[in-house]
Amino acid sequence: MPSPSPKLQSLEEAAARVPDGTRLAFGGFAVYQKPMGFVRELVRQGRKNLTVVGSAQSYDVDLLAAGGCLSCVETSYVGLEKHGLARHYRRAVERGEVKVVDYPEMVSWDRFRASQEGLAFWPVPFLGGSDIVRYNPAIKPFACPMTGHPMHAVPAADVDVVVIHALAADERGNVVFPARRLLPQSNDVLMGRSCDTVIVTVEKLVSNAFIRKHSRLVELPSYKVSSVVELPYGAHPTPALGAYHADEKHYGEYVAASESAEATAAYLKKFVHLDGGNDAYLEAVGAAQLARLKDMDSLL
Amino acid sequence: MTEPTLYETLAAVLAKEFLNGEVGFTGLLTGKAAAMFGTAIPIVAMELARRTHAPDLTLLLAGCYHNPDFSQLEAMPDSEHDAVLRDLSTEAQTYDYPGQWALKRGDISFGFSSAVQVDTVGNINSVCIGPYDKPKVRLVGPILQPEHMTLFRREYIMMPHHDRRNFVEKVDFISGVGFPGGEAGRKSLGLAWGGPALVLTPKCVFDFDRVAGRIRVRSIHEGIGHDELRNATGFDLGDLSGVPTTPRPSDDELTIIRREIDPRRILFSPT
Repeated sequence: MPSPSPKLQSLEEAAARVPDGTRLAFGGFAVYQKPMGFVRELVRQGRKNLTVVGSAQSYDVDLLAAGGCLSCVETSYVGLEKHGLARHYRRAVERGEVKVVDYPEMVSWDRFRASQEGLAFWPVPFLGGSDIVRYNPAIKPFACPMTGHPMHAVPAADVDVVVIHALAADERGNVVFPARRLLPQSNDVLMGRSCDTVIVTVEKLVSNAFIRKHSRLVELPSYKVSSVVELPYGAHPTPALGAYHADEKHYGEYVAASESAEATAAYLKKFVHLDGGNDAYLEAVGAAQLARLKDMDSLL
Repeated sequence: MTEPTLYETLAAVLAKEFLNGEVGFTGLLTGKAAAMFGTAIPIVAMELARRTHAPDLTLLLAGCYHNPDFSQLEAMPDSEHDAVLRDLSTEAQTYDYPGQWALKRGDISFGFSSAVQVDTVGNINSVCIGPYDKPKVRLVGPILQPEHMTLFRREYIMMPHHDRRNFVEKVDFISGVGFPGGEAGRKSLGLAWGGPALVLTPKCVFDFDRVAGRIRVRSIHEGIGHDELRNATGFDLGDLSGVPTTPRPSDDELTIIRREIDPRRILFSPT
């Protein structure tokens, strides 16, 4: 019997699946569990004209804006929560360099639900009177065929590529999620089921036996996944639930650097434009700092 | 009993609005003033209602964590979806969408929104200042405001600052719909229920003439003069002569807030 084909790829190889102009989605939610290692690689490779579609964005979109990689964002939120506005993104939008298409938060999830179900749109009954409709010609009014109620058809997310960061997968691409997951991880599951090209970066590559032991937690089985990349601390500085907390010290450094062009260039040189890949990034952050971030989860 | 603070007063005003059996949804906001108005006051108000007339009120922290046990916290969390909240003691934990509640069925009785602008019909804006295509300031985006202002049965708008730039004749972008054309106007937009009930600020409480679709001053906080209020507001407030002072909390309410709800002052931390 021939062996199953491995989905394991290097970060560079997986990033080649996202050429200039790609319409892509990043998993996680807001400032939680963003596939930042993959985003850093896109910036390092100088990708251009990306459209990011999502539910809520933060450091992912802001770093792409800092690298000049971004042309459009379709989402409900771009910000750094307690660290305020996403400065690079904000400046790029105000300069007219990045176009924003605003969607309500749960409608942003519904757009991926439409893609998951193979539908071209999702029906939304509550957009009357909102400027979200006024400025978005892709949202079409219609009357409910059953009741005549005025509704809006919101286009499916319909992305070319989805990128998520997860705890573990085997090399065949079976991806396991923690039992005690939260909304950001559930968003990863939804996005991972809504697209034909799904790239998963993982904290750790595990054996097929480990996967079989946790089969009820394999929300994305091999046939839904295109590439697996082993990328320890691949969500850093955002948290990965069950592995590590947010790196508040790094957030502070990032935000301070986003105040000027010189400081931004220095940040990108130190943390993004590295020859040694993810290992070089982890060296730059420092072992002591990473060790402090550990999430104990439950011992039960 | 020492004098009530503004925050205690606003929590007591809100608590009286909630009915037994309702479900209240609050986000977990950050930043001193925003966190106070968007999270701490709503939590204290809901806890006060539960300890007085509404024991069956359900509190949804960050929309996901049902009736959390705040006594287990050493400090208020400042992140919505991380390990701290995963480990918080709750009666039910929402970890997926769709989850326990269904917005379109009207499961959420009320929620709390903050915004950068509020206008005379109660529209709110958190998207941009200036023209949409070339904004002077690009803000965070609509987030959950469209749902709050239409699918929740009613909404409390929590404004941490009361200034002319926040209270405007017309918002620069409608991310949450108020009462354009009054309740009839909302119906014609296909909105069956919901909309802003009150707007709470550091200077006053607004409500709405729901027939005319117009904001009006319901009460003015102690120590705030009519001129001060008019100067801080970017639209005409009309005749203020009959407007009462915002009621003080009772001694019983203050005792419950200070001794039972927030004895360690992690919600209403001393300034």
